[in-house]
Amino acid sequence: MEGVKGLMVFSFAGDPVYEEFNQTQPEGIESRDWRLIIESLAGMRETDLIFKKGRLYIRRTDIGYLLILMGLFVPTAMMRLQCDILLPSLKPAKAAVGIRRLFKK
Amino acid sequence: MIKNVLLVDDDHEMLIAIEEGLQIYKDSFSILLASEGLKAIESLKKNLISLVVTDLKMPGMDGFELLAHIMEHYPDIPVIIITGYSTPEMENLAHEGGAVGYIAKPFLIENLAHQIMTTLRKESEGGTLHNVSSGMFLQLVEMEQKTCTIRLEDKFSNKNGVLFFQEGELLDARVNELQGENAAYEIFSWDQVNLSIQNGCALTEKRIFSEMQHLILEAARRKDEEVIEDVPPAVIQEAQPLEPEPVDIVAAIKEKIEAQLGPSCGLEDIYQDHSWDSRVLQLSRAGVFFNIGELEMGYIDKGEENDFIVLPGENTTVISVNPKCPRDKLLQVLSE
Repeated sequence: MEGVKGLMVFSFAGDPVYEEFNQTQPEGIESRDWRLIIESLAGMRETDLIFKKGRLYIRRTDIGYLLILMGLFVPTAMMRLQCDILLPSLKPAKAAVGIRRLFKK
Repeated sequence: MIKNVLLVDDDHEMLIAIEEGLQIYKDSFSILLASEGLKAIESLKKNLISLVVTDLKMPGMDGFELLAHIMEHYPDIPVIIITGYSTPEMENLAHEGGAVGYIAKPFLIENLAHQIMTTLRKESEGGTLHNVSSGMFLQLVEMEQKTCTIRLEDKFSNKNGVLFFQEGELLDARVNELQGENAAYEIFSWDQVNLSIQNGCALTEKRIFSEMQHLILEAARRKDEEVIEDVPPAVIQEAQPLEPEPVDIVAAIKEKIEAQLGPSCGLEDIYQDHSWDSRVLQLSRAGVFFNIGELEMGYIDKGEENDFIVLPGENTTVISVNPKCPRDKLLQVLSE
């Protein structure tokens, strides 16, 4: 989708387990302590954060939290719909061998 | 976690003899000494004690008074009585007063060691864990509705604390002289802990009334503030992005939404709630990391009856909305 700049997957413990960015990857992803941010998501199913220069869309999944970094003008309804369609495929990890490989720690 | 055993006796030679006799157990527990009841109380305030072994007859505060004090203020700490003036009545009184053991002098050091080890083992009967995140683990305890006493050691500062849970509800916390919510904030600020779990909770009095999530986030906020206090004032000036909000912000938001989207826009309630502050602060930090500026607002679905729109400020403004509300339109109106 146009406007999507990258995505990350975090374990529930706050460890980044997967990341992919269209342009330059932000520095210090691995060394940053994400635990407090991830802990602050406890109990949330879905979080849409609007910042001055971009948006973060965060979805709870069966394996952790999916975080999508995007610009201000991404059609977010479409983004949510795509997530609704695609995220259940993370659940039956046995059937998705290729994807499962990506999410291994 | 090495456990501390406090020995209390006014007979200095006896104290030294017991301490030396227990040296072979130094891998299992450390010995702290006190020559009388009042000094024992001082030691209880400064250290996380797992067990008290006390003589009965002492000048000033005697063993029974010390036992009563411990039962009132530290009911989780077991007490073993040792006495050179043993009678069946005294033994009864000691047990009625809450002592878990009673040993008449003279005694074999092995017998005392056996009682100490048996009692200490109960402290970690529910298991021990190393290098865990306290916040995540304690939320699990809450979710599992456990009744237990958890002793924690901060991996970095080596401070010790104890938490008391009754059916998943946090009743109290203690770190040295701190008790209640202040002690909980201290413990929840520890990122990596070693902990031991004792089944059961000797406490009945509730001193903590905030929810666990709030305590964890408030602890994080306080920790962050400590860090900020170390920053020069000039930097703090620059780093404060949030301007004071007008007093009637709630009314202004309501008016704005209803004017643009009509009264049937799914708006349920608008209020200011500082319990969201820490959570919003943490989320806003993600924006700094990704270089996308300050957080302006967030839409949050917790799977509850209502969803929430949060607006950062001195007190976070929370807009409670029906999940079927025109979400994107609402966010657009609020961002204008």
